[in-house]
Amino acid sequence: MQFEKSVDIHASKEKVWSFIWDVDRFIACVPGCKEAKTVEAGKRYAATMVEKVGPFKVEFPTTIEVLEREELSRIKAQASGADNKIGSRMKIDLDVRLQGDTDKTTLSFTAGVDILGKLAALGHGIIKRKADQVLDEFAQAVKKQLEGDS
Amino acid sequence: MLRRFRLEEPGSVSEATELLGRFGESAKVYAGGTELLLAMKEGLVQYERLVNIKKLRLNEVARDNGAIRIGALCTHHQLEQSALLQQTLPALVKLENNVANVRVRQAGTLGGNLCFAEPHADPGTLLMALDAKMIAEKGGSKRAIAAQDFLVDAYETSLGADELLTAIEVPVPAPRSGIAYLKFGYLERPSVGVAVAITVNGGTVSQARVAVGCAGPAPKRVAEAEALLQGKSTDEATRNLARAGEIAGKASQAISDLHGSQDYKEHIVGVLLKRAFQAALAQC
Repeated sequence: MQFEKSVDIHASKEKVWSFIWDVDRFIACVPGCKEAKTVEAGKRYAATMVEKVGPFKVEFPTTIEVLEREELSRIKAQASGADNKIGSRMKIDLDVRLQGDTDKTTLSFTAGVDILGKLAALGHGIIKRKADQVLDEFAQAVKKQLEGDS
Repeated sequence: MLRRFRLEEPGSVSEATELLGRFGESAKVYAGGTELLLAMKEGLVQYERLVNIKKLRLNEVARDNGAIRIGALCTHHQLEQSALLQQTLPALVKLENNVANVRVRQAGTLGGNLCFAEPHADPGTLLMALDAKMIAEKGGSKRAIAAQDFLVDAYETSLGADELLTAIEVPVPAPRSGIAYLKFGYLERPSVGVAVAITVNGGTVSQARVAVGCAGPAPKRVAEAEALLQGKSTDEATRNLARAGEIAGKASQAISDLHGSQDYKEHIVGVLLKRAFQAALAQC
């Protein structure tokens, strides 16, 4: 499943960039993400993703690995995790880009999301819709956090 | 493999809702079990307790003040066989006759089907077009929830965690009414379902209700499509069907999946809406 999102933020690129690397604040913007910690600063992080669709709840202990980093402009990362109780795995390939000037930054990202295992029994459409909602909420939460600062 | 759980056997609706309130998310209502037990066996959900409500005698179909009251524990098979429904709501009988397969119809209940809110289930769509109310009880209190407010999202209803769906009330259709539910799919569950309920007086469609389901996360009433039919002559309403179908297609919130692409499902909604309207009109 491929997703593309973009959000305009009234803040400088520097501010957005430093926000992305502030793990505690950044993770607070990811719906269902908890217990985030830095394994190796700038390279590897760990968190637990909890999502719910009706009575179905998944909990993915997740590793986030930063694959590429171009200062102030781009981050490529991969998040992967497994819920062994339900027997499902998740992998997200994330490509984040920053464009803008001193007043405004466009934060855009593409996310390739793969969900494998029993969770797929819920149906591709339902999972896709849920992932889309999560990414929308994330983009809006980042905007709110950063614009709330100014 | 089914994990161990404790089976609670309440003797009344109040006892059942008290148990649900006390144990919260660790307990779940057990009725027919056709969806719940499959999900539990697959390990998709886990509950410490199942609250067995099978003995609560919520399985009558009766006429009640201008409405048909269907007990939430009525099985699909029971509804297929109900003489009262065959006489008053034949469209519901036809729908029930085509729910899933004979094994599911024997054990699965209408209430369970609605509460599980599986997106591809049939009954919710028709019940919306029939203007049905869901009766939810908790302790000694009772409230009625319109069908379109009950089914809110995929696998989600507006029923409180400590409420029990005890009955579904469907108004007896007015004279010169026609009702049709049509579905289409090529997998085990339907890709699209459309329900139309109309009343015709003196060549005018005096009331029209349209609902679409299965294509998206939850069934929807489509007021904008209804407005193109209601208050119009039958000829004008017929001419408006293509537009109403387009609107209903968009309103279905169709999702691209194994059941078909979004465009395809939206198109099928339009086709079924037209056919369902014509089938309903032929009954008036």
